[in-house]
Amino acid sequence: MLTPMFQKLITTGVACLVLVSLVAGCTSKKKDPPNTVHLSISAKLKGLDPVNADDMYSGIQSSHAYEGLLQYHYLKRPYVLTPNLAESMPEVSADGKTLTIKIKKGVLFQDDPCFKATGGKGREFEASDIVYSWKRLADPKLTSSGWWVFDGKIVGLNEWHDESAKAGTSDYAKPVEGLKILDRYTLQVKLTQRSAQILYALAMPFTFVVPHEGPEMYGQEYINHAVGTGAFKLQEYDPNSKVVWVRNPTYRKELFPSEGEAKDKESGLLEDAGKPLPLTDKLVYQILVESQPAWLSFLAGKLDLSPIPKDNYSQAIGSNKQLNPELAAKGIKFAKEPQLDITHTSFNMTDPLVGKNKLLRQALSIGYDDVQYIETFYNGQALAAQGPIPPGITGYDLAFKNSYRVYDVAKAKDLLAKAGFPEGKGLPPLEYITLADSTSRQSTEYMQKMMSAIGVQLKVSTYSWPEFQASVKNKKGQMWSFAWGADYPDAENFLQLFYGKNGSPGPNDSNYLNPEFDKLYEKALLLQDSPERTAIYQQMVKIVVEDCPWIFGSHRLNMALTYPWLKNFKYHEFDHAKAKYYRVDPLLKK
Amino acid sequence: MFVYIARRLLHAIPTIFGIALIIFVLFNLVGGDPTLQMLGKHANAKQITELRHEYGFDQPMYVQFFEYLKQILTFDFGRSYATKQPITQMIMNGIGPSLTLAIPAFFFTTVLSVSIGLLVAYYRGRWIDRLMVIMCVFGMSLSSLAYILFGQYFLAYKLGWFPIAGFETEWPDRFAYVAMPIIIWVVLSLGHDVRFYRTALLEEINQDYVRTARAKGLGESKVLFVHVLKNGMVPILTNVVIEIPMLILGSFLLEGFFGIPGLGGMTLDAIHNSDFPVIKAMTTVEALLYIFGNLATDVLYSLVDPRVSLK
Repeated sequence: MLTPMFQKLITTGVACLVLVSLVAGCTSKKKDPPNTVHLSISAKLKGLDPVNADDMYSGIQSSHAYEGLLQYHYLKRPYVLTPNLAESMPEVSADGKTLTIKIKKGVLFQDDPCFKATGGKGREFEASDIVYSWKRLADPKLTSSGWWVFDGKIVGLNEWHDESAKAGTSDYAKPVEGLKILDRYTLQVKLTQRSAQILYALAMPFTFVVPHEGPEMYGQEYINHAVGTGAFKLQEYDPNSKVVWVRNPTYRKELFPSEGEAKDKESGLLEDAGKPLPLTDKLVYQILVESQPAWLSFLAGKLDLSPIPKDNYSQAIGSNKQLNPELAAKGIKFAKEPQLDITHTSFNMTDPLVGKNKLLRQALSIGYDDVQYIETFYNGQALAAQGPIPPGITGYDLAFKNSYRVYDVAKAKDLLAKAGFPEGKGLPPLEYITLADSTSRQSTEYMQKMMSAIGVQLKVSTYSWPEFQASVKNKKGQMWSFAWGADYPDAENFLQLFYGKNGSPGPNDSNYLNPEFDKLYEKALLLQDSPERTAIYQQMVKIVVEDCPWIFGSHRLNMALTYPWLKNFKYHEFDHAKAKYYRVDPLLKK
Repeated sequence: MFVYIARRLLHAIPTIFGIALIIFVLFNLVGGDPTLQMLGKHANAKQITELRHEYGFDQPMYVQFFEYLKQILTFDFGRSYATKQPITQMIMNGIGPSLTLAIPAFFFTTVLSVSIGLLVAYYRGRWIDRLMVIMCVFGMSLSSLAYILFGQYFLAYKLGWFPIAGFETEWPDRFAYVAMPIIIWVVLSLGHDVRFYRTALLEEINQDYVRTARAKGLGESKVLFVHVLKNGMVPILTNVVIEIPMLILGSFLLEGFFGIPGLGGMTLDAIHNSDFPVIKAMTTVEALLYIFGNLATDVLYSLVDPRVSLK
């Protein structure tokens, strides 16, 4: 038996733990409005300033408060641009080098103390705000990773950038020839050469409009503020924990679209057509980096929308690739849409062995079974890539089959022999560089197994992410695996990955160089979307497929689960402000 | 004592310099080029050069090292590459949530483990001692991740006793979010701590002075809490005081899994994102806390044990 003294001691200890549990029940029970949308983010945020919005999560958050001149139609596919802050689509001159943009009148910035002249009331947005915002993108002091969208494209902007870099300070009052304010509501943009892609830049968060009063008042702390013209106003911001947005009371009249794809009407996506946006009063984002708590929060109904984490796939989706009955019984909907991306294994084209031996690259490509990879690593939720252009983008050819992506060990061995290495004899181990995380390790083991089956050995070098990047950019290693997600829905965004002038440290990481390809690329750059340009794109795909600078991997599918009370969810690759279309049905949520 | 403290503080200067040098070499020479990561997938050679200049990466190594020393002296570590926030501010913001979790967890762990340690030392060899040894070994054998996953799945999701994850800055809501992590912390730490205190207190409980005290007719509570516990304070202090400054750093896993915006989660994110300025700052802070924690332990020894004198 325990002495009374110890009994007392243990009782006290247990009481303390019970106290902790009881305290857990103490909350102030703050209530959100019934139509609040609850979402999660799986990464810490980089701030809310649009010039830093280079990842999806920061892009989404800044898009609640800020807007661009253009936006993507929420429902239409393929993706199409529509005016946002612009009154209409930009007028393009006959030579394609001048854009005249008229902006909407009466659009107000959100109320904020930075508007000292009006006592905190947001002033009207005007053309000069666009010029200011785009100069910020070019400001060397702000070190924006989005500068590439205008780099070399607007007359005089690079000169302004270079002068600012040289002087160590930026003179925002100094005019830029290519950014001319014609009147309070009209801007003229002069391009260095005609560009079909420039309009996409106007819908990217990097180019969203910021009032000069904001950065002037908050300085470097502007990343923690949001003063735009957007549908939501920032209520609470902790980049590590939580972001809360509420309806912007001064938001202009924007309506839910009344047309979309044919299937949208029957899936109820047009039920709110013509209603003013946003449809929800509040957005609450919980930052949950780990997938387990986010997944459990969704299952508990604390989140309205969730991706399917890799580790929880079998809990959500059955062997028939359909939603598990338990979740279906709750009314949960399963949406699956192709992402505009590609995974691939690059060959180092500057390497004297793999870079110079096309037959060797083709052999390795045929010897790599991506169908099994997709089944193992993506639970079958991806499409085997035949070339660099993903489905959903003009230039993708459903009928096109890449003859070097048909898994065939015998053919791979035959090509290997023709390359000068029968059964792999005489071929030194190829240096494959990879990352140290568990998924990369497993993928690497799979690659080793595939290559070993055709007689090719790999020497694996494992790096941290910065070391890996540095190795790729410094052309070290002979092979590595990567993925590319679209910045805008144009095949050019994928084909530029093979353009000679984009070689390391640019996005052409394999340093592929083919003058014929480059010539076609430069020609296509000057063309608007047309059958002629599509034909050129397809010709470029054939060239690159034959040269085999990559083993083309897959186009992944985006999978999302939503509760029945969340209305109007439709996967969108580029519309970061999509939450303004979401609506919660409080009756269904009860 | 003051001379001792002053001398230890003076000794700390070259130690800190040495630590700074090691951290600098590790992160600057081995860590890779941060500009590629900062510029993203569209980086080009000109942008890389400009960014290197803007951040001073093109300066000679010794200049960059002195800049780092200046950061330590002024406690201004610049801005995070990943979040763009001032690191000092990030640290200050993270201390509160970390301590909300760590202080109660540490308090309960210490009280419970010393008490249980004393209990099992007193009943050495009896069923309760054996049971505790088995429980401690079992507790230590399970991975911390198992406790977290179990807690989140059963206690939070299935039973609904706690929130699954998240954090509130306001009181008393904050308690609700840290309660389960506190319990997991306590359960996680008990196995090791109870074993440690049991061993430390066993040494004392068999000493002659304990027998003498009992022979003099002192009650068991007085013997244990006044005599045994006081004399067992040196190893207890070693274990406890060195941990106190480290509490600020929070818990990597618990903060990460429960979405608590403390310094542990912040460090873990910085490691995931290769955010070197934050990792560098946290490593430096940790080293400083360790040095000063050690000094505090030595000073406290002399206060609780008259046999220890500081020279």
